[in-house]
Amino acid sequence: MSTLDKEKSLAALRQMMVIRDFEETADKLCLRGKVPGGMHNSSGQEAAAVGVMSALAPDDVIATTHRSHHHTLAKGFTPKSVMAELFAKSTGVSGGRGGSMHLAGVERGHFGGNGIVGAGVGIAMGAALGIQVLKDKKVSVGFVGDGGMNTGRTWEAINMAVIYKLPFIIICDNNQYAVETFVGRVTGGGDLAKRASGFGLPSFNINGQDVEEVYKYTAEARERALAGEGPTFINAVTYRYYGHNVGEKGQYRTQEEIAEWRTSKDPIDYFTGVVLERKFATQQEIDDMRASVRTEIDEAVAFAESSPEPAISTITQGVDSGKLGIQL
Amino acid sequence: MEEIFVPALGMAMDSVVLLEWTKQPGDQVNAGESIAVIETDKTTLDLTAETSGVLGKHRYQVNDEVPAGNTIAVVLAPGEVE
Ligand SMILES: Cc1ncc(C[n+]2csc(CCOP(=O)(O)OP(=O)(O)O)c2C)c(N)n1
Ligand SMILES: [Mg+2]
Repeated sequence: MSTLDKEKSLAALRQMMVIRDFEETADKLCLRGKVPGGMHNSSGQEAAAVGVMSALAPDDVIATTHRSHHHTLAKGFTPKSVMAELFAKSTGVSGGRGGSMHLAGVERGHFGGNGIVGAGVGIAMGAALGIQVLKDKKVSVGFVGDGGMNTGRTWEAINMAVIYKLPFIIICDNNQYAVETFVGRVTGGGDLAKRASGFGLPSFNINGQDVEEVYKYTAEARERALAGEGPTFINAVTYRYYGHNVGEKGQYRTQEEIAEWRTSKDPIDYFTGVVLERKFATQQEIDDMRASVRTEIDEAVAFAESSPEPAISTITQGVDSGKLGIQL
Repeated sequence: MEEIFVPALGMAMDSVVLLEWTKQPGDQVNAGESIAVIETDKTTLDLTAETSGVLGKHRYQVNDEVPAGNTIAVVLAPGEVE
């Protein structure tokens, strides 16, 4: 359970490449006005998303944040359906009604991104409670940013998960900034895992740039959750390469800092090295993989461009459960 | 060829007003230099070139309303034509 086998390693590497290419492509299209409402780019944070999903079963539940493209793609939603949602097209994962911040697919265990900092943990905790009540053999994962670690609702949810021993995993997708605020400046006590452990659950600070390390900690947390031992908190330290939202002109960090993370700690470069060293693939196979990802993202853009907008006649659909017979 | 375009910034930016051209067609442009000044609903800002070259045609006139995302001019590398 501590390492990824050949098949899982290649899948993880390709998934990280998909996320990177998707985000860099979508960022440019967003600047061109193709993404209504804008978007939050997750480039740099691929390993933390893919490592978690590599340890989950397809039925496991996630709920995430305003920065959720990487989680959604890693959960197995196609680049086509996610790009179409960014474009607000009817073929998108949320039928074009949600956009970048509301990617969801409840029937496939994706309880959505949302715009309220810290809310993903509460939503996922509720799902974990449901799993426990229904005696399902699965777990729920709640993602939260470093900024969301300083909001009360996050800790209310964690406390409840601890006292009920819920099958729950909290992942802090710690890209070290909440808009322009550096995590080190606003973390009382200075150590998020230590803070969480005060709530009485196993808590770890880990390297979020190493997909295998993230996989290992998540897989162990999942085992504990399925064994009825309750929740785990994982602080995966990572870095975002772009601004908080597309088009941001950031003045709060140096170009040198960004360059250092990009060149010496990049999760895709790092894991490419691991894959080559273990002889899971040749350089040629890696190059071919990258080319096939490029094609897939190009196809996703073409699909999103050519898809129709939601029909006006469907505007009242999805407003309520459909079971109340409300006429709008 | 680099397209100089009006970036879609913010949640609901539909269009901007072109206030001024700071470079003329045929002018030499250096990376980082301003090409034009635009006015959004919140502020005025410079559209700058990322690459060096020669400016192509002005695709809009001063005081025109330009939809976000649209290209206002291109910067041509040596040998390129518009
Ligand atoms: C409750 C609430 N407060 C404030 C905001 C405004 N806001 C949006 S994103 C953000 C920063 C979030 O930072 P973090 O949790 O680290 O996530 P990241 O953007 O880094 O992924 C803030 C303060 C919000 N959306 N919701
Ligand atoms: Mg953050």
